[in-house]
Amino acid sequence: MGQLTRRGLLSAAAALPLAAAGCQGLRVLGTPPRPLPDVAVLRTATDGETVLIAQYTAVLAAQPGLAGLLDPLLGQHRAHLDRLRARLIVPPGAATPSASPRPHVQVPPGAAAAQAFLQRAERAAAQALTGGLTAASPSLAQLLASIAAAEASHALLLGPSRRAR
Amino acid sequence: MTASPAPRAAAQRAATIRALQTALAAEHTAVYGYAVAGAHLAGPRQQVVTRGWIAHQQARDTLIAMVAALGAQPVPASATYQLPFPVRDAQSAAALLALLEDGLATAYLGVVALTSDRLRLFGAHGVRTAALRATGWRGSTLAFPGLQPAAGG
Repeated sequence: MGQLTRRGLLSAAAALPLAAAGCQGLRVLGTPPRPLPDVAVLRTATDGETVLIAQYTAVLAAQPGLAGLLDPLLGQHRAHLDRLRARLIVPPGAATPSASPRPHVQVPPGAAAAQAFLQRAERAAAQALTGGLTAASPSLAQLLASIAAAEASHALLLGPSRRAR
Repeated sequence: MTASPAPRAAAQRAATIRALQTALAAEHTAVYGYAVAGAHLAGPRQQVVTRGWIAHQQARDTLIAMVAALGAQPVPASATYQLPFPVRDAQSAAALLALLEDGLATAYLGVVALTSDRLRLFGAHGVRTAALRATGWRGSTLAFPGLQPAAGG
């Protein structure tokens, strides 16, 4: 792990000398001289997590019996969103990135269908994150790959063999 | 930042070899660990562990070829491995397998940090595969497979 962090820091330091000043390579994201592709990738990723959280919340409201299965997964999505947002440095005076309105979610009727709906959402989210990997800085790519792997794992737990009876 | 192209290419090649060797060492460990754990699992789990054992040997061979193609000597398997805890039954065997997969996720995240798109996606595939297998053995998911918990959130 120490190696990973060091490697991430080194790559960040190569791109932006300021990275050496902070202990977390990401703190430098909002720094000039030029806009970094990470900001766009991060916005897409935080939007994706926001949608997933809304979807889980809607399914839990419609199917409270799924709470035992879904609550831990929802908690992990909140952790994803927090960690992604911590990397977004918003310049003073800029519009806040997290002001996106809560998306409207149409939950299919029935516990099994609702669970399958979340499974599809997790798979799509994992795929979207993987799509952003090559545009990201090394340390952000690691975070995206880790979150994508978590979401693929969620989809596994949401599969039919563990589906609500 | 102003490094001339040749030293930068050499540094990238060295970083690639380092990351692939780390993943290879983790695959060697997994091949060993799956063999140990397999002795304590029965029924469908025995089949899953056998499939995993074969898959890890294939992943090991892929990494050996990748390291060799870069002109480096692939790290060999160790003669012995220290288990993190005694493996005596199905429960401790599954716990060992989950832990091994966590280690693989970390190792493949090192490959994700490389600059080549192809290697990055290869690494991401490795992280995902490890996380899926760990989930199977553990029955639950980690929020950040391969990464340490966030310091301060």
